[in-house]
This record gives sequence, structure tokens and C-alpha cells, in this order.
Amino acid sequence: MSVGTKVSIKNLVLRTPLLTGSGTFGYGDEFADIVDYDKLGGIITKSISLEPRSGNPPPRICETEIGGLINSIGLANVGVDDFLKDKSSLLPLHKTEVFVSVVGDCVEDYVGVISKLQVIKDIAGYELNISCPNVLKGGLSLGGDKEAVAAITREVRAITKRIISVKLTPHYSLIEPVAEAAVNSGADALTLTNTLMGMMIDAEKRKPLLGNITGGYSGPPLKPVALAKVYRAAQAVDVPIWASGGIVSGIDCIEFMLAGACGLQLGSVLFADPFAPNRIMSEMEEYCERHGVEKMADLIGALEV
Amino acid sequence: MAKKNNMVIAEKGVVEQILKISDDIWDMTIYAPRIAELCRAGQFVHVRVNDSFAPFLRRPLSIGPTWGEYFRLIFLVKGTGTKILAQKETGNEIDLIGPLGKPFQLPEPDQSPILVAGGIGAVPLLLLDDQIPSQQNRDFLLGIRSEKNITVDEIEMERRGITVSSDDGSIGFHGTVVELLEKRLEEKGEKNQVVYGCGPGPMLQALKNLCLAKSVPAFISLEVPMGCGIGACQSCAVPKADGSGYYLVCQDGPVFESTVVDLNPESLP
Repeated sequence: MSVGTKVSIKNLVLRTPLLTGSGTFGYGDEFADIVDYDKLGGIITKSISLEPRSGNPPPRICETEIGGLINSIGLANVGVDDFLKDKSSLLPLHKTEVFVSVVGDCVEDYVGVISKLQVIKDIAGYELNISCPNVLKGGLSLGGDKEAVAAITREVRAITKRIISVKLTPHYSLIEPVAEAAVNSGADALTLTNTLMGMMIDAEKRKPLLGNITGGYSGPPLKPVALAKVYRAAQAVDVPIWASGGIVSGIDCIEFMLAGACGLQLGSVLFADPFAPNRIMSEMEEYCERHGVEKMADLIGALEV
Repeated sequence: MAKKNNMVIAEKGVVEQILKISDDIWDMTIYAPRIAELCRAGQFVHVRVNDSFAPFLRRPLSIGPTWGEYFRLIFLVKGTGTKILAQKETGNEIDLIGPLGKPFQLPEPDQSPILVAGGIGAVPLLLLDDQIPSQQNRDFLLGIRSEKNITVDEIEMERRGITVSSDDGSIGFHGTVVELLEKRLEEKGEKNQVVYGCGPGPMLQALKNLCLAKSVPAFISLEVPMGCGIGACQSCAVPKADGSGYYLVCQDGPVFESTVVDLNPESLP
């Protein structure tokens, strides 16, 4: 039996539900020698800002004792102008859908970046990063405000017909109101979730392990948090949800689909296992065959409660 | 756009031999023909120590001496990852990505290279020693804390003519390896010398300062916490000396001309 792997979002069909999580896959070309792009429904780039950002002071990454990691990259990126000049011509080479993640400090930044990116024909859509915990302005502080989420989404919607996914923070105790605000303002999809704010301390040295002191916690320990956000949001809104949070296996992906996700973002897992797209697709296919599931899309929201 | 250095290879290596050299130092010989053939001194492999996700990240380890289809990894057991690595046995598979990063630039024929290693920093310099043409004179200095922390075995030290210094005077020159380097530069004169260094941050900073003062060019190899190893995640940043931002150790390094990076303890990971 050949399992159907396609999923759709708005008017676009992705060949598999697998996507790369923003910030873990560079601009899309770094992994070209080792990752099998055929297994990816799409890639999501590093977050692009209006001006270049050099990022946070090092160290920028540390592991936690229980199989997670914390990063504080600080949204280092080349800025939209250099992205257009140096990176955009590479996008069609990836032979998969490309979504550009966009970040800013205010509504005008998001509109500014996207109006420049609109001229590139090889972009399928945008993911609005309004939830990064590693920047002083914007990022989480914007994402924490329901009105700001609505305003950014509305203004971006006004200048593009391309797919817009809004990436939200896991910090809300209730995800539903902000999910509704994004969707009512024109979001085609939601990405749930960004990292949780966390920190690690070296007790011997009495120092934080990260240069920025706090960072974004990711990896397997985040999965239950993200599952709950996906599940709750899927009950509240009727748009596709892209899950992001601790996915390392095909079974993790199946769990997120059952909870209501239509897309599955591979993030930190790619650092440990760049071959994850292949492995995870086989594991998902094996599950589907074992359960007589003909199309992976049939699993979306199929949780029995 | 930053140009990619080389083809990145994913290869399952096989452990051929693993030996304990001294307290916490292990020497592993790996069969990995594709990486062994392509790698150059200063490059590293990104090693996945097991199939689970604990520890989560790969370990970046400098590639040591190669011969034919084999190369050596000499590593310090420092945490969970290297502890798991030290438990590997002959015949075990080992998941590698490499060779990564920019290699050392070999000395010009009229230059007289001095290789300066601090502890486990000897590893990439052993390969460099092999890649410098045999007729070219070179000095190889190795600094360790104490005799029991030796990172290169005695036979190999003898064969390569390595001069040792120890912080406690238990073996070789009593003092730091940078003090030994200073002495060596005074004996030999500074003309046409080129220094290659690898070791802990404070040692590299002292080496950089000495070479600046003596106007001797120096290339250093850095070790920092790393994520993907191939330039995508931007975790392995090191500040530029001119304050204009950061280099990525995995992609712009790990080898740098010593004057371009900021090695102040407050700036370094």
C-alpha cells in the first residue's frame, strides 16, 4: 500500500507534511549536501528583518540535562536587501515550497520586509515570527499582545495574497483568543509554537550558560507543551496548523496530526540528525500502513477523546 | 554570500581501535574512507555519539592524523557526550558529518612553522605536522597541566620531536607553552616564523598577544559550543576583533588569523 503524503494549505498542495522550522535550516542552502529535500513539503527560512542583525553575544547555545537545548541566536540575519541579492536566486534550486520567516520590531518592519519580498516569484508564503524570546524589542513582546498580533497580520494581509502563517509563542495560558485574533485578521495558518523562554546556570562558575542569559528552550521536552497548544487552537480556529515543538520521530508527527496539525516542522532535530526528513517519513508511512490509513491527511484532528 | 568550503559528507565510520592515553584522554582510530581522503588539517567532524537524543547535539571534534582510509580522533572526556564516545568498542558504527570548516593554510616554503598546542589542542596540529612537507623544518610545542594529563603518547612525541611544557614542572619545560614559545622565538629570531596554535581560550589570547608583539603571523583554531556545524543555526559565533559583528566558527573557522578575532575572556564562549 502506498500511503498518500500530500497535505494542502489554502490553494497550495505540499508533497509531504514536513517543513523545516525557522532558524534551524538557515536560508535553505546550507544543508543541500546532506538533506533529502524530496521528503520536505516546504522549507521555512531563517527570520529576515528589514536591517541586518548581527545577533546576540556568545555563547548562543547550550544543552539541558534532559535532552533539550536552549539557544539565544538573537535573530542574526543578513537583512532583507542582502537576502534579495544573495539568497533569493537559490530558492528555486531547492525544488520545494519556500516560506520566508519575517521578523520585526513593529508593524511597519513586517510590512517593509514583505513588500520587498513580494517581487520574488519563488516564495510561496510568509511565516510571521512574532514570538521570538531572544530580542528586547518586538519578538515576544509583540507576540504577547493580542492587538499587536492582529495588527501585524492585518497589515501584512493587505499587501500580499500569498500564504501567511503566524507563529505564536507557547507562553499564553490560553492560546484560543490570540489564535482567533490572528485568523480573524487574515492568517491562513498558525505555527504553534515558538520556543519557551529558559535559562541554564553553571553553579560552579556562578554564571549563566548563555551570553544573553536567557534563551529559547527547544527539543523533545517541549513536545507536550506544543501538543496542548496545537490541540486547543485546532478546537478554536478553522485554519491549518503547523506544529513546531520537540519533534524527533514519525510518531511525534502522528501525535501532532491527531491533535490537529496539518504541517510538521522539524527544528532542533536537524542539528542532531540531518537525515530526519527521510527517517521520519518512513516512520510515518509505517504507522499509516499498520493502521490502514490511506492518506496522512486523514489523521488531522483524528484524536479520539 | 559566504562560499561553501567543500562538499559535506555524511558517513558511517567504524571504530577500528580505541585506547586510553592518560587521565580522561582517549585516542580513537576510525575507518571512514571518504572523510579521511578529503580532510585537511584544522577541519573537524561533527559526531553523533548515539541514536537517542540525550545528549541532544553532535560533538564537533578536530580531525587528527590520517592514513589511507582511517583517521584518529583524540578527545578529552568532559561531559555526557564524550563519555559515551569513550565507551565505544572496535567495530561500533559512528555517525559522522565532515570534513567541516576551513583548514589551516600550510606554511610557505621559506617559512619556519612553530606548532603550539595546549592540551587536547594538539589534535589538529598532529595532522598539520603530517601535512607540512617533510623537508621543511618545524617546531612542535605541547603544553599540558601535568604529566598525567598528557595528550600525545611518548612514542609519538619522540617520533615528532615534540617539546613539552607543564604547568607544574612534572615533565619538560616548567611553565606555560606560550612562555616556551617566547623562549623559542628568542632563540630562533622572528624572521620567517609562522605560528599555528590550538588550545584553551586564555592560552590562545596569550599566544595572540605574544605574536602581535613580535610581529609573527599566527593562525589559531577555536573550539566553541556548536549546533548544526554547517552554518545554518549561527550558534557558534565568535566576535570580530574590529567589533563589527561575529564570525561563525563552523563556517568562517575554526581556523582564524589570530588578529581578526576577539579573544577576550569576556567575549569568548
